[in-house]
Amino acid sequence: MSILATKDTHVVIQGGVAGVNAARRMAEFRYMIKQPLNVSAFVYPPDAGKTNEIICGTELIMIPIYKTVAEATANHPEINTSLVYIGADRAYAGTMEALNDPHIKTVSMITEGVPEKDAKLLGKHARKLGKTFNGPSSIGVVSAGECRLGVIGGAFDNLVACKLYRPGSFGVITKSGGLSNEIIWICSQFADGITTAIGIGGDAYPGTDYVSYLEMFEKDPQTKAVVIVGEMGGDLEERAAEWYGAKKRRIKLLAVVSGFCQESLPKGMKFGHAGAKEGLKGEGSARAKSEALKKAGAIVPDTFGALGPAIKATHEELLKSGQVKPIPELSPADMPRLPKTVQESMKEGEVLVTPLIRSTISDDRGDEPLYQGYPASELINNGYDIPHIIGLLWDNRLVSKQEAEIIKRIIMLSADHGPCVSGALTTIIAACAGIGLSQAVAAGMIMIGPRFGGAVTDAGRWFKYAIDNKLSVDDFLVYMKKNVGPVPGIGHRVKSLKNPDKRVKELVGYVKSLNMATPHLDFALEVEKITAVKKDNLILNVDGTMAAVLVDIGFPVDSLNGFFILSRTIGMIGHWTDQKRQGSRLIRLFDYLVNYASPKRREVPPLK
Amino acid sequence: MAKVLEGPGMGLLRKWGISTPNYAVVTSSEEFDQLSQVNDWLQKNKLVVKAHEALGSRFKLGLVKVGLDLAAAKVAVREMLGKKLETLTIKQVIVSEAVDHKEEYYAAAKSTRDGVDLLVATCGGIEVESNWDKVKQVSIETGETLSDSALSSLVKDAGFSGDTAAKMAEFLKKLYACFDNEDAQYVEVNPVVLSGQGELVALDAVTLLDGDAKFRHKDWTFPFAAEFGRAYTKNEEEVMAVDAKVKGSVKLIEIPGGNIAMLPAGGGASVYYSDAVVARGGKLANYAEYSGDPPDWAVEVLTEKVCSLPGIKHIIVGGAIANFTDVKKTFGGIINAFRKAKAEGKLEGVKIWVRRGGPNELQGLAAMRALQDEGFDIQVFDRKTPLTDIVDMAMAAK
Repeated sequence: MSILATKDTHVVIQGGVAGVNAARRMAEFRYMIKQPLNVSAFVYPPDAGKTNEIICGTELIMIPIYKTVAEATANHPEINTSLVYIGADRAYAGTMEALNDPHIKTVSMITEGVPEKDAKLLGKHARKLGKTFNGPSSIGVVSAGECRLGVIGGAFDNLVACKLYRPGSFGVITKSGGLSNEIIWICSQFADGITTAIGIGGDAYPGTDYVSYLEMFEKDPQTKAVVIVGEMGGDLEERAAEWYGAKKRRIKLLAVVSGFCQESLPKGMKFGHAGAKEGLKGEGSARAKSEALKKAGAIVPDTFGALGPAIKATHEELLKSGQVKPIPELSPADMPRLPKTVQESMKEGEVLVTPLIRSTISDDRGDEPLYQGYPASELINNGYDIPHIIGLLWDNRLVSKQEAEIIKRIIMLSADHGPCVSGALTTIIAACAGIGLSQAVAAGMIMIGPRFGGAVTDAGRWFKYAIDNKLSVDDFLVYMKKNVGPVPGIGHRVKSLKNPDKRVKELVGYVKSLNMATPHLDFALEVEKITAVKKDNLILNVDGTMAAVLVDIGFPVDSLNGFFILSRTIGMIGHWTDQKRQGSRLIRLFDYLVNYASPKRREVPPLK
Repeated sequence: MAKVLEGPGMGLLRKWGISTPNYAVVTSSEEFDQLSQVNDWLQKNKLVVKAHEALGSRFKLGLVKVGLDLAAAKVAVREMLGKKLETLTIKQVIVSEAVDHKEEYYAAAKSTRDGVDLLVATCGGIEVESNWDKVKQVSIETGETLSDSALSSLVKDAGFSGDTAAKMAEFLKKLYACFDNEDAQYVEVNPVVLSGQGELVALDAVTLLDGDAKFRHKDWTFPFAAEFGRAYTKNEEEVMAVDAKVKGSVKLIEIPGGNIAMLPAGGGASVYYSDAVVARGGKLANYAEYSGDPPDWAVEVLTEKVCSLPGIKHIIVGGAIANFTDVKKTFGGIINAFRKAKAEGKLEGVKIWVRRGGPNELQGLAAMRALQDEGFDIQVFDRKTPLTDIVDMAMAAK
């Protein structure tokens, strides 16, 4: 048995993220006691119509979200309790809505910072309706082995450590949320654990006071003793004392009150919860409360630390008189545990997971990326440059200083080629159409292919084929003509022997000035000598030159287009920002640039 | 609860139709000179000049001057402004007109569990303290309205008669309207005086508002004042500024002269820790508290302030078994600040005592324990050690 939160409690949670978090905690509790989740619905207007996903053991449960409490209880008539997780400025209206719903008997409010006037009005309204309004600022309610409302009791391990999977004999009422958990723990270690623990909240005027709950505990045969953790301020402890002393009570009462430090503090200085304020005439002091409780026959240890032994003594007395029986402890093997997540199981070496993908280039799991195992910051600090990162990520190796210089020059030479080429033009059109940077650059990228910039890989492939197979230039040209078609990397739309491409000259000149073997470049230049004779513009173009040089320094053929894509990205970003900066407007092709070769206007034949 | 200084308190009374003397809150002598040139009441009446700061015993400190003419008031204003006291400099003074009167009364409204108590007495000023039996009261239940008949029997019961009884009933009605509509928790008007013109005037007001209701009072543009007879310190203000920004809470009150620094978690447990220190004869250097799973950086700021308290011998990092405050995360903030403070030489000879439980307690406590290897004098205990035992150990260790 228990009070307030029982096995028959069914809950609607009013609120957003905090409410969802509470539902998850409640689901953990239900899983521990092997019961289905007792949260039926959420009320949160911004998300009405959607569902919240709650993990309950190994299951994922979808809980519907409604706009109003009335809709929730109409769809889930078993609901009898509401938990309020709404912000302080809207908590009053939300709580009123719940209290006024005929299905709902209990409302517990976690919201902190609720105006006192609102709390008083809510408390009065609940009393008038004969319902329970718990809070504001309540950590929640937990009944061992039955039900948890809110996050009271903390993490799963703590629920188990506090033996909340089965009832004990002690009721707990506290203002403080943290101390409720502490007392639950103490009751489980010094005695046989709790029946129900209630956080009433630390505000000045909680909706329900100790007395109401003491009366409920008095009627609950499972509860043999109740522990109250009080605070200075107000008169709730005095009223509890008055109730306890009024006649012979079945339950034993233990209590501690905080706030003795007030006596030696500068006047007016106030610690702790909102409700912890001494009356202007000194009423409500910790000492007055302790005295009142002692006088009424409660057990009042001098310090919080003495509470444990006092609870232990009370439990031993109950055992001796036969009012409670010793509860056998669960063996460690029978202790409830949460299903492990895959990560937890892997950490403990219990499962083997076949990875979905394999990466051989980088690792992001530390505090900074590792490229081929080298921390990015250390590469920077040791003088490495962008070409080295390209070497690491594209070819799994650290390129030499000389190779890095070649890569750098390739990037610099092909970063941009003016606004007219397919890639840049497309990016510019997109920019003028108001398209964002990544999409506009992607549009330009799409142009890179066999006719524009995308011949580097193919050029490299066939030059490499020729060298690998020791073909002569003539054999190569025959082979290409027969099997492939025009030689990739040879030929230019506007450049020719008479009008040579300066970029090619520059790159070739530099590479040839170095002390390195360049079989592919040499071969490509030999090819040019033949093709350029046939036709003036069949020269080695920039794609072909890059390809030959990059194969010479050992880059894999499949990575070669990447050098053009990477370089040209710089230009495309430039074109996009250029148009953006100018505030360019939408452009379209002039019709005089189109040869309208379609049929002239004519009559539409009848549809057959 | 939030205390409001006299000026804004008077402003709220006026808003609800209660007469107050003319008053002005000034921040410089020049401003007062300008005001006196355009306000008749400053030229024609005797004046009262008071420091407008959160200070107790202003009379004793010489910060209330009465019966002044304008010239004397100007001197008083000049002397008072900029005056330095222990923890604050006087930045504002309130100048109000003295009201000629024969009778002084007492009126107050205070929030109770069941509603509001309205109090009234025929004696006011300091006399009411020794004549508390003359104070009569009526209780208005939460959500009920105040009836005229209840009011008139209250004032008659208190000993008012005739014309004054009707006026006092009217005064109390306005006081209640002010109290109820302004989300007040306590308003005390002492004295209420019957002026030469036969009007009831509120001469002084103590006003406590419900700070939590600020969201629905857009005209509360005034700052709230500390309730303990001194201004907030810089550290306290900085922690309050953090508190206002974050989920959860961080709180700090400094207590000069103490040597036991407090850094406990939880609004409830923190007071039990303070009690334990006092019970063992220790002197608190501060009150502090963090709760509701605040971000680590907020706890770090709080810890920095606690470590900077002068002359501390122990730091009590206590706490109950948290429900949802992440021990590892919040301890992370504390550890960062500890390291910083140690590097600045602030933790020389300071013993640190830790006790805590809650989510991720194992990792949090282990991280604290590891500080021993960095040369901290730190003792770390888990949930098996009763809550306040670390205080006992600290007090025994000195």
